[in-house]
Amino acid sequence: MERSTIDRSTPASGASRERFMRQYGQSKDSQSISRRFSYALIGVVTLFLFGFAIIAIFLNTARIDDELEARLDNALKLAQISLPTPLWNLDNDVVDDFLGALFLDEAMVYAKVLWGGQAIVERKSRGFDEKDISSPERSSDFISKSSDILFEGSKVGTIQIVLARETERRQILLQIYAIIALTVLIIVAISLTSIIITRRYISRPLWQLQESASLIANGDLETSINTGSSDEVGSLAKSLNVMRESIKQLFGELSESKDQVEEYSRTLEQKVENRTHQLARSVEELKALGEVSQAVNSSIDLQMVLTTIVTRAAALSGSEGGIIYEFDEANQTFHVRAAHRISPTHLEALRKAPIRIGEGALGRAAATQAPCQIADIHQDRLFAALQVRDVLVEAGFHSLLAVPLLRESRLLGGLVVYRRVLGEFPVEVVNLLQTFAAQSVLAIQNARLFRELQDKSRELEIASQHKSQFLANMSHELRTPLNAIIGFSEVLLEKMFGDLNDKQEDYLNDIFTSGKHLLNLINDVLDLSKIEAGKLEVELEKVDLRQLLEGTLVVVRERALRHDIRLSLDMADNIDTIAADERKVKQIVFNLLSNAMKFTPDKGEAGIRARKSDSVIEIAVWDSGVGIAHEDQQRIFEEFQQVERGLTDKPEGTGLGLALTKKFVELHGGMIWVESTRGHGSTFTFTLPVKGSQESKDAPES
Amino acid sequence: MSGALILIVEDNPKNLKLTRDVLQFKGYETLEAESAEAGITLARERQPALILMDIQLPKMDGHEAMKVLKADEKTRQIPIIAVTSFAMKGDRERLLADGFNAYLAKPLDIKELRKVVENHLSAQS
Repeated sequence: MERSTIDRSTPASGASRERFMRQYGQSKDSQSISRRFSYALIGVVTLFLFGFAIIAIFLNTARIDDELEARLDNALKLAQISLPTPLWNLDNDVVDDFLGALFLDEAMVYAKVLWGGQAIVERKSRGFDEKDISSPERSSDFISKSSDILFEGSKVGTIQIVLARETERRQILLQIYAIIALTVLIIVAISLTSIIITRRYISRPLWQLQESASLIANGDLETSINTGSSDEVGSLAKSLNVMRESIKQLFGELSESKDQVEEYSRTLEQKVENRTHQLARSVEELKALGEVSQAVNSSIDLQMVLTTIVTRAAALSGSEGGIIYEFDEANQTFHVRAAHRISPTHLEALRKAPIRIGEGALGRAAATQAPCQIADIHQDRLFAALQVRDVLVEAGFHSLLAVPLLRESRLLGGLVVYRRVLGEFPVEVVNLLQTFAAQSVLAIQNARLFRELQDKSRELEIASQHKSQFLANMSHELRTPLNAIIGFSEVLLEKMFGDLNDKQEDYLNDIFTSGKHLLNLINDVLDLSKIEAGKLEVELEKVDLRQLLEGTLVVVRERALRHDIRLSLDMADNIDTIAADERKVKQIVFNLLSNAMKFTPDKGEAGIRARKSDSVIEIAVWDSGVGIAHEDQQRIFEEFQQVERGLTDKPEGTGLGLALTKKFVELHGGMIWVESTRGHGSTFTFTLPVKGSQESKDAPES
Repeated sequence: MSGALILIVEDNPKNLKLTRDVLQFKGYETLEAESAEAGITLARERQPALILMDIQLPKMDGHEAMKVLKADEKTRQIPIIAVTSFAMKGDRERLLADGFNAYLAKPLDIKELRKVVENHLSAQS
């Protein structure tokens, strides 16, 4: 991954090179500098030369004009010198010859000599018409001058000469052609020269530079750039060379860093791989340890746990076999407890030869309380005289590692793994085995504890069963004679078999009430023991609370009347039925009411108040009796905790009533408490959940 | 319904005596058996109008005896009242469901005994 990232960032790669070229490369289609330079040069030279030609033509034209005029003047002067005499002499032939001589000048088109206003000699070239001179459109084609010819100061005649400009013009045209030709020649020459020069000194070096630059762009940094010339291109080439060197250096550094990065990533990969391997191993170890500790914690089957441990330990330590020994303190020997991949025959042989402390690797590990390994079982001195060695060698094992199982330096056993190869175990394996050893210790410890616990709980269960059985038996055995005591005294009190005297009746009453008391006591004890054994459960049914409360009041009414105690029932209208165990609620209310009666002096008051809140029914049984001291208020709910409440009548009761009442309330999922002030009566309040306790699924809606 | 014959099956002699005396006082005739087996025999032979059956008995218990009697055509129609000191909740219901005609808790309440006996004999006639 990382390597490819590095590649992509290298400028020498194909795609980026193309992009590089597209952006910066000189396309061959574009105009070359030399061509542009040539165009500019040719343009400028052409302009100059044409300017120069125009000026030259203008000047030449002027000069030729002057020359023509000078020739005309010369001809006139010559005439002035040559003609006076002939004219004086009227020698027309000489004049004609003179004119003939003038016509040697090819520009001469017309010559006329006048004498006395009359033309005496006239000569004209072919095609010339006299009228042309005077015609305005052709006047510019000719130059005409006339001069008087004087003989000794007097006019003897007039000469007129006309020169045609045509020849002159032809000359000028020729000159122009020559100039143009020359100009073109010069331009061509200059252009060629400039092209050659630019080609040679600018384009080619630039091209070479471009090539070099392309090479550089293509990643070739080795080819040196030709820096032959000492001109600007040369210095550019030098700069380019310097740049190439820099780039080369940069590339060198870059590729060096790239190599470093690659190297780093390689080592990183290696590290990651190593780490992954380590992690995988750790995970495997953890998994194994997890399995082992799960086995240790979830199973009390010691054999299974130890087998799991030895199997995992052998697998993770790269061993082919393993054994967990348990130390027998009584005999000071090690015995095979669990084994992994040890053939039954070898195992049997090993079982027959218990290891003693100090003997063999395990013996030494036990003695030193540290792991002990044997790199070569066959050669080791420790095993020299031991029967174990022969068994192990026969089983094909060559090296082993023994770890003692220690519980706070108390020897519990040993964990030994065997390999079929020679050599020492790695440190990690030794450490790992120690961890497994610790787990084995825990497992053994757990198993021992569990065994003890199991024994204890079995004993307890038996004891509890005995207790329950005892209570049931006792209750039965106690009731049977009580049956007779109560029954016979009742029969006598009923006077079925004749009258009794007062004393007899009094005693029989005592026997009867004592019997009843004892019976209640037995029943309460039985109920409490059942509750404690979890055998007494509430059975929820739809209970009409008003009916129930009125019913209990009826039961105590007689007694209330006897003691002139006023009874009352105050019940909120929003209560009708509740989900409860009717018999138990009845017993609760009855117990509380009986207590209220018991501890309320004559002419007192007692009553029941029932209220309903969101989730609970609150039932309070109150009296105007003697009250309970604050310090006694919690105690009274405990078994056999009757408190002295200062009535002359000694409180009669089993001492279990309130304890049982509290248990019954709690069985319903309610609470009970007392509010009382000494001398100002007591109020016992208990709650019942509106919907019955948690376990009531079919509780009626009230 | 005075004079009716009532079989009392009860292993405790004192309790047996008490029940017998109370019933005799009220004018009933009584038969006594101290074991379930003896009770079954007596019931078959004498065809009592009512049986008071103790539940906890040596060897065969009152519960089994009731089943035997209820299975026998000759004794099927005789009402059997269970007498027990079982105090477990649901015992009463179980006993009634199993075939007993009534239930009396030990220690016997003399008034209740008389009432239950009277009720059953009058209902029968």
